[in-house]
Amino acid sequence: MRDKPESESGTGGTATAPAAVPLLRIEGLSKRFGALQALQDVSLDLWAGEVHCLLGENGAGKSTLCNLVFGVHAPDAGNMHFDGAPWRPRAPAEALSRGIAMVHQHFSLVPDISVVDNLLLGQVHGVLDRKAWAAKLDTMRARYGLALDPWARIQDLSVGERQRVEIVKCLIREPRLLVLDEPTAVLLPEEIAALLAVCQRVADQGCGVVLVTHKLAEIRQVARRATVLRGGRVAARSDAPSQEIDALVRAMIQRDLATPPSATEAPNAAPPGAAEAGARHGGVVPPPALMADGLSVRDADGVLRLSNFTLMVAPGEIVAVAGVEGNGQSELGAVLSGMLAPTEGRFFLAGEEMTGLPPRVLTAAGCGVVPEDRHALACVTGMSVAENMMLDRLHRFRRFGLLDRAAMTAAARELMARFDVRAASPEVAFGGLSGGNQQKAVLARELTLDPLRFLLAAQPTRGLDVGAVEAIYNHIRAAAQRGVGVLLISSELDELLSVAHRVVVLYRGRIMGSCRADASERPRIGAWMAGQQEQFASAASSHKEISP
Amino acid sequence: MSASLDWKRLQPGPALWVSVASVAGALVAGAGMVMLMGVPVGDAIAAFADGAWGSPYALAASINRALVLMLVGLGFVLAERANLTNVGGEGQIAVGGIAATALCLWPPVASLPFGLAFIVPMLGACLAGAFWAGIAGVLKVKVGTNEVIATLLLSFIAIWMVYGSVQSESLLRRPMTTSATLPESLEIPVATQLPLLLGDPSVPLHAGLPIGLVLAAVVAVVLGFTVLGLKLRAAGLNARAARRAGMAIDRLSIGVLCAAGALGGLAGACMLQGEQYTLKAGFSSGYGFDGLVVGLLARGSVTGVVAGALLFGFLRSGGINMEMVAQVPTALVVVIQGLIIVTLAGAALGIQRMEGRHA
Repeated sequence: MRDKPESESGTGGTATAPAAVPLLRIEGLSKRFGALQALQDVSLDLWAGEVHCLLGENGAGKSTLCNLVFGVHAPDAGNMHFDGAPWRPRAPAEALSRGIAMVHQHFSLVPDISVVDNLLLGQVHGVLDRKAWAAKLDTMRARYGLALDPWARIQDLSVGERQRVEIVKCLIREPRLLVLDEPTAVLLPEEIAALLAVCQRVADQGCGVVLVTHKLAEIRQVARRATVLRGGRVAARSDAPSQEIDALVRAMIQRDLATPPSATEAPNAAPPGAAEAGARHGGVVPPPALMADGLSVRDADGVLRLSNFTLMVAPGEIVAVAGVEGNGQSELGAVLSGMLAPTEGRFFLAGEEMTGLPPRVLTAAGCGVVPEDRHALACVTGMSVAENMMLDRLHRFRRFGLLDRAAMTAAARELMARFDVRAASPEVAFGGLSGGNQQKAVLARELTLDPLRFLLAAQPTRGLDVGAVEAIYNHIRAAAQRGVGVLLISSELDELLSVAHRVVVLYRGRIMGSCRADASERPRIGAWMAGQQEQFASAASSHKEISP
Repeated sequence: MSASLDWKRLQPGPALWVSVASVAGALVAGAGMVMLMGVPVGDAIAAFADGAWGSPYALAASINRALVLMLVGLGFVLAERANLTNVGGEGQIAVGGIAATALCLWPPVASLPFGLAFIVPMLGACLAGAFWAGIAGVLKVKVGTNEVIATLLLSFIAIWMVYGSVQSESLLRRPMTTSATLPESLEIPVATQLPLLLGDPSVPLHAGLPIGLVLAAVVAVVLGFTVLGLKLRAAGLNARAARRAGMAIDRLSIGVLCAAGALGGLAGACMLQGEQYTLKAGFSSGYGFDGLVVGLLARGSVTGVVAGALLFGFLRSGGINMEMVAQVPTALVVVIQGLIIVTLAGAALGIQRMEGRHA
């Protein structure tokens, strides 16, 4: 497990001659944020023409390392060499001009304007030649298979499509080093495959590619070499990562990976009795946690985004909504969290109608929401961790009319311990937490809602590492066993098959089919996700839950 | 993250020194301009000092000005916490003045016991200001009108309303007994005037001052130490997430704008019942906009509002005297104010960048 130059043996290192110096050399890099030592003495070589996977749990320092290379932050110690010359970027603009492009975990797109305008931003001066850039997009499609409508507004795109815009934005600059910070977290299986192919092709053309990820399958597929970070230090390196996956995972989480929550576990095979009772239409005791009756949403252009969505979630039942992203999941989530009034249809929480009521009422009725877009809806990054974790229950910390900050901090600390939210203290800014810890904090808040009757979790494990994913699902399972109905929107088929009792598949806003969450149903689910009509016909006949 | 706690801002940090330096720099630049005008700088400074704090009367008048600026500034800071920009101080002063005048001149009010004679008009002014700003709040929530535009345009309407109300005898204009009567209201009865703190007309500090200081403390506590303050901050930083977390953002927005308007209305009442005693066209002459600047420069801090209000209050008083005695146009004061704003705003940006780098 030592890294040394061996680009001559690279599968695609044909475009560049074997280089004597690495494209990027990182030596002894350290970075501290307040009390948190984010990186400690990290060294790493990256060669042109290779895909280098950077692995690590949430908060291991992967994003920080990328940000140092890209000039977002300056290192406290250590140095870097890019292309043989000392590399001390002061700003991302400097990195861009030297040929380093980065796709961040969070998008930096202007939502109100079109795809092509976003590409133009910061790249051209004077007269805007939109047509020429739209043509460039076509080249991108031809070269990398990244299809985009140049004239679509960003705000009308799904998260996956926005991610694609970000990637195209980088590739269009023809970078020499491409840094991708968890780019696949929001993509779908086939999109991931396409993206990995893109990575491979970019590398084949002599560009260095850094891929931050925790998906093991991706490492197996594209990584030429891999570096594992843990707690801000290099925990392992590998020159043949595809053969050393187990060792890498051990280094990453410092323990053997437990068998992933399997589809044969008890809660899965035998849904609680309550679920059975709720699924029968006559059974009104107890009322279903969620009863959605013909929910439809039309967007501003009159396009039907969600069509006649009818579903019942019994108390204690976990129903997963599968589907390729952008097929109505976002709209469904917005309606059920009270952020969007449906164009048609109604929905009930624990028997009470909630259609079009504000989130305040929904929260009071016991509806917890882990939204898809955490930063927009679930947290205030400028406020502290404690303030964020108590955002929906601030009134509990009122004493003599004043805010009892000590009590709030203590309550937050307790919650952080229970849900393993790692932060220097409850007082630090929420925005400084790693993505995984932010997500755990949001989940902690929503799961401790009192009362909690229904939980809507949209992509709750996006961007989380293996260990955290397990923890999150254990919390969700525990909630279900307490009698909470859970609607899980996810594009991770493996995950939802292992957690849910039942799966419904959305395709173009419609429920294509519904089946038990069982690995044996995978082909059917896959076909539904692809929108195959014959499958739909057969599913509709066997689909009992739809439309009373 | 306790940046919102005001005590942190009390400690002398770079921000304080930068403020002092920029004020001093602007004053020196002002002195230079006086010299260029050919007026002896010593005369001008003497006239300025005389007008600002040269006599108990001048001192009290400066403080009264500062009180009005502070109330408007407090309203600005309060709304700013929820990311709402209230630029309608001038209009809120105007409607407050109208309401206070109308109530003061209504005989039943003047005969109320226990000081209610002057308290009721003040409350009326608060309500009027709250209503005026509340219109902007409702427009914002219901139809999405930008509150900057709404509060600003409502100000112009209110200013015109003052003008209109003193034009007609059926409204507030005093009866025309002689041909020389100006378009202004009758003088309000003594019972409805704010009591002088020292009982001495040569030191015109009035009961509005303690009320204003108490309100400043209340605003500071609400913003820094209450659940409401935290909610306002959440609403200001991420309204959608705050809404999702169950806060009634619409009510919060309208409420905080109403509170800001009430403070503006109270400022109007203080001007009318504490100093001017008659309502005339041009009654406010820009206090609302100066107060807005005070609020802007305070950058969310109540202490900053108090300091800024005092500074601008003294500047205005001194400037007026400088014009009368030393023939230096008051416009100079506006120039100095402008310089302070530009340097402070620039320095604030610089400090923010510095802090950002250290963080």
